[in-house]
Amino acid sequence: MVTYIIRRLIGAVLMLVIVSMVTFSIFFVVPRIAGATAEGFASRYMGRSANAEMIAVTAEKLGFNDPLPVQYGRWISGVFVGSEYDTGATIEECPAPCFGYSFIRRQPVWPDLVDRIPVTLSLASGAAVIWLLCGVATGVLSALRKGTVFDRAAMSIALAGVSLPVFFTGIVSLVIFSYGLGITAPGGSFTPFLENPVEWAYSLLLPWITLAFLYAASYARLTRAGMLETMSEDYIRTARAKGMKESRVVVRHGLRAALTPILTIFGLDLGLLLGGAVLTESTFSLKGIGDYAVQAIVTNDLPKIMGVTMVAALFVVLASLIVDLLYAVVDPRVRLG
Amino acid sequence: MTAPLDAPGKTTEVVPEAVLAGAGVKAVQGRSLGQIAWMHLKRDKVALLGAGVVILLIVIAIFAPLIVDVFGHPPNEFHQEMIDTSTMTPKGGTGISGDFLFGVEPVNGRDLFSRVVYGARISLLIAVLATMLSVVIGTVMGVMAGYFGGWVDTVISRTMDVFLAFPLLVFAMALVGVLGQFEKNLGVTGDTLRIGLLIFVIGFFNWPYIGRIIRGQTLSLREREFVDAARSLGARGPYILFREILPNLIAPILIYATLLIPTNVMFEAALSFLGVGIQAPTATWGGMISQAVKFYNVPHFMFFPGMAIFITVLAFNLFGDGLRDALDPKSSR
Amino acid sequence: MNKRSALAFAAAGAALSLGLSACGGGGSETKSADGSSAAPATADAFNAGLEAVFNPSDKKGGVLKMAISEDWDSVDPGDTYYALSWNFVRIYGRSLVTYTPAPGAEGRKLSPDLAEKLGESSDGGKTWTYKLRAGLKFEDGTPITSKDVKYAVLRSMDKETLVNGPTYFNDWLDLPKDFKSVYKTPDVNTDSAIETPDDQTIIFHLKKAYGGFDNFAALPGTIPVPKDKDTGVKYREHVMASGPYKFDKVEAGKQYTLVRNEHWDPATDPIRKALPDSYEISLGVNADDLDNRILSGDLHIDLAGSGVQPAALGRVLGDPTLKARADNPTGARTWYTSIVSDVPPLDNLECRKAVIYGADRVGLQNAYGGEFAGGEIATGLLPPSIGGWKKLDLYPSGTGDVEKAKAALAACGKPDGFETIMSYRADRPKEKATAESLQQALAKVGIKLELKGYPTGDYFALYAGKPDFVKKNGIGLAVNGWGADWNDGFGFMSQIVDSRTIRESGGNYNISIKDKEIDAKIDQIFAETDVAKRDALWGEIDQRVMEQAYVLPGVWSKSVLVRPLGVTNVFVTGAFDMYDYLNLGVQ
Repeated sequence: MVTYIIRRLIGAVLMLVIVSMVTFSIFFVVPRIAGATAEGFASRYMGRSANAEMIAVTAEKLGFNDPLPVQYGRWISGVFVGSEYDTGATIEECPAPCFGYSFIRRQPVWPDLVDRIPVTLSLASGAAVIWLLCGVATGVLSALRKGTVFDRAAMSIALAGVSLPVFFTGIVSLVIFSYGLGITAPGGSFTPFLENPVEWAYSLLLPWITLAFLYAASYARLTRAGMLETMSEDYIRTARAKGMKESRVVVRHGLRAALTPILTIFGLDLGLLLGGAVLTESTFSLKGIGDYAVQAIVTNDLPKIMGVTMVAALFVVLASLIVDLLYAVVDPRVRLG
Repeated sequence: MTAPLDAPGKTTEVVPEAVLAGAGVKAVQGRSLGQIAWMHLKRDKVALLGAGVVILLIVIAIFAPLIVDVFGHPPNEFHQEMIDTSTMTPKGGTGISGDFLFGVEPVNGRDLFSRVVYGARISLLIAVLATMLSVVIGTVMGVMAGYFGGWVDTVISRTMDVFLAFPLLVFAMALVGVLGQFEKNLGVTGDTLRIGLLIFVIGFFNWPYIGRIIRGQTLSLREREFVDAARSLGARGPYILFREILPNLIAPILIYATLLIPTNVMFEAALSFLGVGIQAPTATWGGMISQAVKFYNVPHFMFFPGMAIFITVLAFNLFGDGLRDALDPKSSR
Repeated sequence: MNKRSALAFAAAGAALSLGLSACGGGGSETKSADGSSAAPATADAFNAGLEAVFNPSDKKGGVLKMAISEDWDSVDPGDTYYALSWNFVRIYGRSLVTYTPAPGAEGRKLSPDLAEKLGESSDGGKTWTYKLRAGLKFEDGTPITSKDVKYAVLRSMDKETLVNGPTYFNDWLDLPKDFKSVYKTPDVNTDSAIETPDDQTIIFHLKKAYGGFDNFAALPGTIPVPKDKDTGVKYREHVMASGPYKFDKVEAGKQYTLVRNEHWDPATDPIRKALPDSYEISLGVNADDLDNRILSGDLHIDLAGSGVQPAALGRVLGDPTLKARADNPTGARTWYTSIVSDVPPLDNLECRKAVIYGADRVGLQNAYGGEFAGGEIATGLLPPSIGGWKKLDLYPSGTGDVEKAKAALAACGKPDGFETIMSYRADRPKEKATAESLQQALAKVGIKLELKGYPTGDYFALYAGKPDFVKKNGIGLAVNGWGADWNDGFGFMSQIVDSRTIRESGGNYNISIKDKEIDAKIDQIFAETDVAKRDALWGEIDQRVMEQAYVLPGVWSKSVLVRPLGVTNVFVTGAFDMYDYLNLGVQ
């Protein structure tokens, strides 16, 4: 077990290194190939009154002329030991973990991300609870009542759910419930949980439901398929033949087997969402990680884009690591095989 | 498996490998794959409806200019006489009439019907071509990983893991943005460039989903009796690969391709919504919705493109589901 | 920088919009407000806050709530170029002189603020002297001296550290060659540029004479900064207040709160009323939500001051009660399209003219938001509120004159038209609409446009404002916009018509006007001491720009502002064409 964990951990770290290299090369190498110059990069950080000489100086100062491995090395070392940036007047500290320093905003990226994590975390966790409960319950009921009106209705709604883009349902629900009826909070509302839990829930209710609707729909379909699959297994027939109560058969044998793959997917979905629910945040003007990514891209702030991509990848890798480890605990075949 | 968007479109469609392999077994038993599929599909009215809508959408996309000629106005033509110049909204609220079936856009009065119809072109073109790209890369990589095993498998599998760890949407946005600015150096411009870029980005980042499934299929096919039999009869690697394994992969490839298309329709819409898709004045559904957000007081503006996305995605999903059921003997629908 | 377009950039949320404005249709109502301009207004009426103080009061207390849909560049007075900042900064900072808090054109006049009176010039306008009032203090109780003002001006010139502000001092002050910045060369003697013979006196020395120096003295750059409290880029996290309010909470990108500065002495300040007990400013509020909250009275002021979003516009103009709460000022800002005169075939005057003839001017007005929220169809570059403006009538301003355009094309030697590229800022829906409108209209005369959107943040630095890029990519038309830094010809025109301001490295706002004759006229203006003659020359330059068809004017911008509920002393200042933030109070 220990060797498995160690192997998996090394794998995760390796993965992050590769992801960071690929990300770095895409944002810093690809533009070069496509024709950007070091001065082009630098002039972005210079405000409106820079002359060619100042731009060249800045390009040099920010190290855009260095070989790429050097630039990459500087970035990585920043993550571990922090780095310093000369802003002209003062030397700005970017303490570890320094996921980049935005020259446009003159701020390290990491504190911004830390600031935004609560928003994304609140959004993702609240929605996750809703979709997991509703999705799985609907799926199980549908599977048990296969072919009934309930099953058909639930599955139709679920199919509709996975076919609607979140930015469309989000806006439509905002227009109806917030701007029209005025019963939910308007776009952009967020109150930290610790400040006022009731306000917190109220302000996020609509984004939660919108986001959860999508996932619930797909989880319902998944659960239903899984349940149908398991319920036709031989061991279920055996359990029934033994005279076990149906509810016990469903919960102990059916659901348990059907839920395992769903939990895997749940872990990864959550990991991905924590890295930024881009569309939901953008639709509801929530200042989370995903919104940060969009802003970074719109303003073409490369250090920000790089930082947010890395943090998002970190969440995905962590989530898959946790899922794998949990699996290893539950299923001995994994760690032995 | 994880999904690229906030919406977990593909996640749903995890079919146990054994189920798909079963389709292969059936195929060896006399009837062709197509015959079996058709037999099942014929009975699945919902899937047929989906297929019908898909065909209709393709026809609309192909004949968009003709349709617009008959029922509408050129998609980029302004009709400012339809706009109230103080509020910039259509006169009478929507501008819907026999002349403008879906009404007009605020500000410039463009015919929404024509724009939605033309939007189908972009949407389907990108979704289908991106899917094909994913399928080709995914199949090649998946078969290689599954068939050769060993270090080839390790390298390809790890690569897929890396791809899956990326926040896809953010990445795609950034990439389209970065590449789009250097068009002079890429040799193409305008819509061609943008469409090409979107196909590349969407297709290139989605292949691991298909790749994983194909790898699993290949792995299990490799160990099957009929492959063993062929091998014992002296068949060489390429023969086994192309004559024994690949034909049995057609069913899962078809199913996943069909189910990947709607995900890609959503992906393209999302990118356009976020402003990195096709540029003005070309109509896209996602782009129209993002414009409509500012004009939420004119709800028909977001309704029609939203419904277009919904119907398209739903139709492909219905058809894909039906196709899977049809090709899957264990299906219990 | 075009501070007003920068402000518009700040104004809108995810989908950035241009300054929303509104236009000429309210003419009759404007006039009725004009008539009673002296009398304060208390009853709701369209444009009631345009020429009169609405709901005047001296009642103190309460919290004034402001919001903005995006973060803005900086609250550091030496590092900001947004009109909204220049308006807002006066709550916590006092410059040497400032704009008189009064409605309409009166608001464009300067009043002494830190200084006892407006600047005294000597040496033919090359030397300007100000005397500070007695008893001025920073928020920590230390006295404000002329040295703090000098330091503030010098530091604001370091464009490497404080990148955002204007560069007027850099361009005009007579600095020694070896001076780099207050941070790099703190020991260099800068008395040749600014002298402070005693703690109350500050003397500016210019390279060449300029009669309007008081406009420089009104820049936020002259708001004093104590040297020992300056932390470079981080100063924005704690700006030392010299005005009646100081920062209490500073959470960049989220919120600011300001509370009373007990060291501000009303006896030293004849123009500020300092009514509310505190200010609450929320940043990053959803733009539509912001409008709705102002309409419902939950929020007082949209700091951006560029008008309501399209959705609220429909609501406000469609509902007589809401419309009665709206003001519809015209800004000193022109939205236009540069016709790049060195990209063939637009190097030919006739081809440039063809573009203007072919353009659907009403369509362009609609693209910018229509008659209320867009503005009046512009016939020249210079907006009407600026001295020297005269109505030009060189081109038809209807929906496009196909015949004239075709004739011009024939004269240009391109009877079948030509193809060119038009750039716009991709995340500005109104500029996109402008490009689309022009594409449609010009297609009718055979001019084919390919539209290209570029990111707003880099538009001038890397794309349309970079001569090399423009030429290489064959960009013939570029959507552009400019607002006056202050309301005279110099404040509006100097950055956008003088070919000598164009830098090869990019960041130019003048994309298309490279004309020796205009440059010569500008030199003539600098040598001219008579205001009326100077104004007339600016008017001539405007005429020349249009004759040579260097720009296709879109609109003179207007905006639809909504007067807040329960707020006193509301009026539109002519200095910024938004509500004056200086003396607002809570009822």
